[in-house]
Amino acid sequence: MSDLFTNFLASGFVGDVVILAKPALFNIYFALASIPFGFPFAVMLALMKNSSSGLVSRIARTYIYAFRGSPLFIQFFMFYSLMLAFNLSHWKPMGIDHIVMHPLFIGPLVLVLNTSAYAAEILYGALRAVPHTELEAAKAMGMNRWQTFRSVVWPNMIRLAWPAYTNEVIFLFHATAIVYFTLPVINEQKDLMNKAGELFERDYNVFLHFSVAGLYFLVISLVIFFIAGKIHQRLTRHLVPTDRNTMSMKPNFMR
Amino acid sequence: MWFEYFTNGKHMAWYASVRFTLIAAFAGAALAIVFGLLGASARRSSFAPFRWLGLAYTTMVRGIPDVLIFLFFPLAFEQGVEWFMAQRACSATELASGTWPPCADAQWFLSTTEYLIMACVSLGLVYGAFAANVVHGAMDAVPSTQLESAKAYGFSRRQIFWRFQVRQMWIYALPGLSNVWMLLLKATAFLSLLQIADIVLWAERLGAPNYFARAGMLHPDWRWRYYLVLFLFYILMTVLSEHFFKYLEKRAGRGMRLNEGSSSV
Repeated sequence: MSDLFTNFLASGFVGDVVILAKPALFNIYFALASIPFGFPFAVMLALMKNSSSGLVSRIARTYIYAFRGSPLFIQFFMFYSLMLAFNLSHWKPMGIDHIVMHPLFIGPLVLVLNTSAYAAEILYGALRAVPHTELEAAKAMGMNRWQTFRSVVWPNMIRLAWPAYTNEVIFLFHATAIVYFTLPVINEQKDLMNKAGELFERDYNVFLHFSVAGLYFLVISLVIFFIAGKIHQRLTRHLVPTDRNTMSMKPNFMR
Repeated sequence: MWFEYFTNGKHMAWYASVRFTLIAAFAGAALAIVFGLLGASARRSSFAPFRWLGLAYTTMVRGIPDVLIFLFFPLAFEQGVEWFMAQRACSATELASGTWPPCADAQWFLSTTEYLIMACVSLGLVYGAFAANVVHGAMDAVPSTQLESAKAYGFSRRQIFWRFQVRQMWIYALPGLSNVWMLLLKATAFLSLLQIADIVLWAERLGAPNYFARAGMLHPDWRWRYYLVLFLFYILMTVLSEHFFKYLEKRAGRGMRLNEGSSSV
């Protein structure tokens, strides 16, 4: 038994888990830095798409369609090369080039632009699904537009959109894997894919290194799912269990 | 003439490289359907280990980024083949040396064709899991009365599966499969990661600044323009796909009595 255990320790699995812990933080950083900006932006886009003004609605529709209809990989290349093109003429004279050209800035920037389009589509769908009867009740009670939004539209929208939004957050976390395929790596600022690739080039043990990297993604995805599930329970605590739309960790096609 | 820039050899190679993207998309989609049907039937199997296998497949793909599997599968397959080659080609001392590959004869050099085939299989594997989930749901959506009638008429289990359940599920599966196709189409941008000279790789080469007159027109860094073209190319592909799937949904629904707008799974 102890032989088995020492063999396991020597197999490199534990070593890889330790080595890849810090790179995993970079993936977590990219996702965590994107959500606080992506979510409000998505809410704004969803409200714009629902707007009665034709122009405002069309702008939001075009934006959402363009960013959902093209690969994030291309969006990264495009925005990074755009930032580069503006570097000498704008960022350097303004003295902000070391901030705005940094991968830790551009990464979340592009992820925010991308994820807000997907999340906006989800929130828009939820916005349309807010029960009409509740809106009519709010009107009958003499609520103004802001009061209606605050107490009827918003809580319903968040509750209805939550399972799909969780799915989007997991997709966003997975999307952080391609950040450093498109942006320069500075010193030891490497994410899971970089580090797994580097370890692979040392001893060509593809099964070990990529499995451990995959395991990190899998475990963190499950943690996100678990936390989001708890929040979902809280959001739907006033409903009878059969009325809750349940969440499940399965390949969801809603992206 | 100004348009000569757009018809020079490099640009022609760029236009021609669209074939890699299209091949990967169509072959990947065909394989995804196959893996999807396999995965869905595994999940419905009466033999429990098959059900677990189906569940493990779909959960794993759900928890791991597509790009990781896209890179892992070709590398793992290459090493597997090299391991078999090494058993035949290398001596015992070389095999025990612990280096990879053990000897020069066991090295498998891959060309674009082989990488393209493996890219198609990877795409099929990843999006097959999504398709399996869609197909699984769609099979449940087929009215059970249809299957019971088939049974009453004396069709065998296999006949019921293929001629009734699979035949009728498409209308329920199409909206989901359309989404899977969109995901797969966007994932074809990863081909350059397997050293295939696809549209993304050529865009970078063409857009790189040129200060050397004999290499063609002099221009600064134009990469963002080329990436913008790709951005629009993929949006165009999405528009075309949407129209195609609308047509398919209409076709698959022929002769079936469906409630208005109930075609989502």
